[in-house]
Amino acid sequence: MYKFLKKGRVAVSIIITVAVTLAFLFFSNRETDLFNGFLKIQFVPALLGIFTGSALILGLLTILTLLFGRVYCSTICPLGTLQDATSRTASLFKSKKSRRFKYSSPKNLMRYLILGAAGIPLIFGSSAVIAFLDPYSNYGKISSEITGRAEQFVHNLLSSAFPDTIFFRSYSVFIAGSFIFALAFLILVLAMSAVRGRLYCNTICPVGTLLGLVSKFAAFKPEINRESCNKCTLCVTNCKAECIDLSKGTIDESRCVGCLNCMTVCKKGAVTYKYSWKKSSKASEQPVVNPQPSPASSGRRDALITMGLVGTFLAVKAVGKVAPLAAKPKKTGIAPPGAVSIDNLKSNCTACQACVTACPNGIIKPATGEYGADGLLMPVLSFDRHFCGYDCNVCTQVCPNGALIPLDIEEKRLTQIGKVRFNLKKCIVFTDKTDCGACDEHCPTKAITMIPWGDEGLFIPKVNRNICIGCGGCEYVCPAAEKAMIVEPNEVHAVAEKPKEEKQEKIKVDEFGF
Amino acid sequence: MERRNFLKAALLGSIAGAVHLKPENVFARESKEAPGQNDLVAVMGGEPEVMYKKGIAALGGMKAFVKKGQKVVVKPNIGWDKKPEFAANTNPQLVAAIVKDCLAAGASQVVVFDHTCDEWQACYKNSGIEDAAKAAGAKIAFAHDEKYYKEVDLPMGLRLKKAKIHESIIEADVWINVPVLKNHGGAKMTMSMKNYMGIVWDRGFWHANDLQQCIADCATYSKKPVLNIVDAYRIMTQNGPKGKTTNDVVLAKAMFMSKDIVAADTAALKFFNQFREMKMEDVSHIGKAAKFNIGTTDLDSLKVERIKI
Repeated sequence: MYKFLKKGRVAVSIIITVAVTLAFLFFSNRETDLFNGFLKIQFVPALLGIFTGSALILGLLTILTLLFGRVYCSTICPLGTLQDATSRTASLFKSKKSRRFKYSSPKNLMRYLILGAAGIPLIFGSSAVIAFLDPYSNYGKISSEITGRAEQFVHNLLSSAFPDTIFFRSYSVFIAGSFIFALAFLILVLAMSAVRGRLYCNTICPVGTLLGLVSKFAAFKPEINRESCNKCTLCVTNCKAECIDLSKGTIDESRCVGCLNCMTVCKKGAVTYKYSWKKSSKASEQPVVNPQPSPASSGRRDALITMGLVGTFLAVKAVGKVAPLAAKPKKTGIAPPGAVSIDNLKSNCTACQACVTACPNGIIKPATGEYGADGLLMPVLSFDRHFCGYDCNVCTQVCPNGALIPLDIEEKRLTQIGKVRFNLKKCIVFTDKTDCGACDEHCPTKAITMIPWGDEGLFIPKVNRNICIGCGGCEYVCPAAEKAMIVEPNEVHAVAEKPKEEKQEKIKVDEFGF
Repeated sequence: MERRNFLKAALLGSIAGAVHLKPENVFARESKEAPGQNDLVAVMGGEPEVMYKKGIAALGGMKAFVKKGQKVVVKPNIGWDKKPEFAANTNPQLVAAIVKDCLAAGASQVVVFDHTCDEWQACYKNSGIEDAAKAAGAKIAFAHDEKYYKEVDLPMGLRLKKAKIHESIIEADVWINVPVLKNHGGAKMTMSMKNYMGIVWDRGFWHANDLQQCIADCATYSKKPVLNIVDAYRIMTQNGPKGKTTNDVVLAKAMFMSKDIVAADTAALKFFNQFREMKMEDVSHIGKAAKFNIGTTDLDSLKVERIKI
C-alpha cells in the first residue's frame, strides 16, 4: 500500500512543480486562469492571503498537516520536489557508501531562530524577511530569474530558426540583485540537497519548521514497530530528512516530510503510519514509551508558542493596520495596481515574482531601493520600457498572496497608482516650438489634453490630475531629453475620478467636402 | 544533332521570352498612362468591403498595383488595444478585403503588421485585424522589437535623415498603406503619412525633432506605397488617436484611395473638416510633403471620381 501511496505522492509533487514552473513561464499573454491556482495552494501565500480568499486553502493545508504531518513539504512545495530531484540525481554519482543517509540530531536552535526571524516581523506587518525564506517564493524567484531567462534564451534561439512563426521575446529588465539572490539561493539549495537530502527543509526553511511543530499534533505519525524491526537500517539510509533514530527506535515527526521512503523500503513492514490521537491519552499509562520525555514536551511547548504567534499574526492581520517596522524612505516607488498601498504590499508580498513575470508589458521589476530595506525585491513599476496597459489586470490576477488584490478591468481603469506631474519647461512644444503630443496620444483617460498655445497653431499638454491613473504612458513616451511628464507614486492607491463622457452633436454629412 | 536542337531551343526560348515580356511591359505602361485613369477615388455610403470593391474597380482593379508573384505588405493602423467600434485602428473587414484582393491579383504573399503603441499582442488581437487578416490568407509579421527593423537613408529628409524601417517593407515588392482617419493630439490629424510611424522603430525621435517635418520626411522614403487607402468608415473626431469611448467615434462610411499620398490625405482632411474644423495649415505635414513634390494638395488638378452608394 505504501508503495502505491509513494507513487501517488511523487506523481502529485511532479505535477504541482511542473505546473508552478509552467505558470511562471506562461504567465505572459494574459492567460492566467489555468495556472495561478497552483500558486495559491502554497503555504505562505495561503497564510498571507487568508483574508483575501485563501482561508479555505489554509484550512485544508492545516488539516492535511494535522492528519499526516509535513506532507506539504514532500508533495506540494515545489522547492521540496526540486530538492528530491537533486538528491536523487546526485545519488547516481555517489559511491554506494556515501549514497546512504545517516541520522542527524535536530538543529533546533537554528530552526526556531530562523522561524522567529521570519515570523515575528510578519506579526508587525512586514513580510520583508519571509520574502527571502519562503520556499515557494524563492522557487518563484528561481523560476523567474533562472528558468525564465533560460527559457527566454531558448525561445529566442527558436525564433531565429523560425522567424515567421515564433516571435522574438524582448529581454526583460535585468536587476542584478534579484538575479544574484536567485542564483545564490538555487546553488545553496542544490548543494545542500545533493549532499544531505532535506537538510535545507529541516534547518533553514521556516515553513518546514512551522509545519514540523504542527506535525507534533498530527493524527497519523510514522512509527517503527520495535518487535518486527530487525535494525537493518534500510529506513535510515533512505531517509532524506535524516530523522530516523534507530538507536532509540524513534522518528522525529517534526522533521519527517512524509516522503514514505522508509515505509516502502522496510522489508519487515515495521515502519507504518500509526493513529496517535487515541494513543497519546493512553501514552502515560504505557510504561516504556519514552524514557526521556523532555524533548517531546519541550517540543510541544515550542509548538504552542509558535501557534500563539501564528494566532497573534492572524489576529493582528484581522484587526488591520500595523505600521511596518522600518522607517519610510523619502522617495518611494510605484506599486502595481491592486497593491492598495505600499504598506499593504510590504505586509503581504513575498517577492515570488509572479507579477514580474506575468506583466505583458514587462514594466514590473523587483525593487532594489525603491521601497526601502524592508521592500527588497518586491514589485515596483518602471516606465523605462513601456507603460501599464489600460485594459490589463494580469498582475492583480496572478498574485497568490493577496499582496495585489484581484481587480476587474473596470476597477483597474480607475485605480490611481500615481499621478503625473507636468514640467512645462522640459516639454518639446515649449523648448522647440514644434508639435509633439506624444503624451496626449498615449493617455487612456484624457487626463492629458492638448490646448492651443501661442500664435503658431501649436498645442501644449494640459493635465487633469484627478482623472490620471498613473499608468505612465505619458512618462514612457515623452521624447524630451529630461522627461516633462513624470508619474509621482501614490503611497496609498486612490480611486480616480471617472473621465467625463463627451457626447458629440450629430452632424449629417452627405458630401465629400472637396 | 544535339547541338542543333539546343540552339533551336535557345533561339525559340529567347524569342518566347522577349515576346512574353514585351506585351506585359507595354500593357503595364499603357494601363498607367491610359486616358481616363482616376488619380483619386472617394467612396461613400457603404460597408467597408463594398466601398473598397467599388473604389478599387474605379482605379483599374488591384492588378494595376499588384503583379503576379509579388510580395505585398498591407500596412494598417493597429496602434491601440481597442476593439473595432472604437475606430482607433483600421477596420478589420477592410484589411481582410484588401488582403484577399491582393492574393486574387496573384500576390505570392501578403504580410500585415504594425509597430503598435499599446502592448502588441493585445493590439493585434483586440483590433480584430490579426484574425481577419489571417482568415483572408495574410501572414502576420512581428514588429515589437528593434531586431525586426533595418536602417535606411532618407536623403531628402530635412530632420529625419535615417530611419529604421520594418524588414517586411524593405523586403516587399510593393506595399499598400491603409490608415484610419482620426484626429490626433500631436499631429492634429492621422492619415496616410502619419501611418508611416508604424513602419519605423524610433518614433520618439520624430516627436523630439519637429513631428510635422519628420512625418513629411519619412514620406520621401524611396519605396512608396503603390496605393493609399484611407479608412473613414468610422472616424474618430475627438480624443484621438487613442480615444476614450465610442462617443469619440462617428459612423462616416467613407473611403479615399489614391497612389498620391498627399492627395489622399488632403481629400481625407477636407472630408474630416465637415465634422470638425481642421485647417490644412495646422496639419502642416501635408504642406511640407507637397513641397517635396511627392504629391499634390491641389485636388482640382487631379482626375477625381466620387462614388456614392
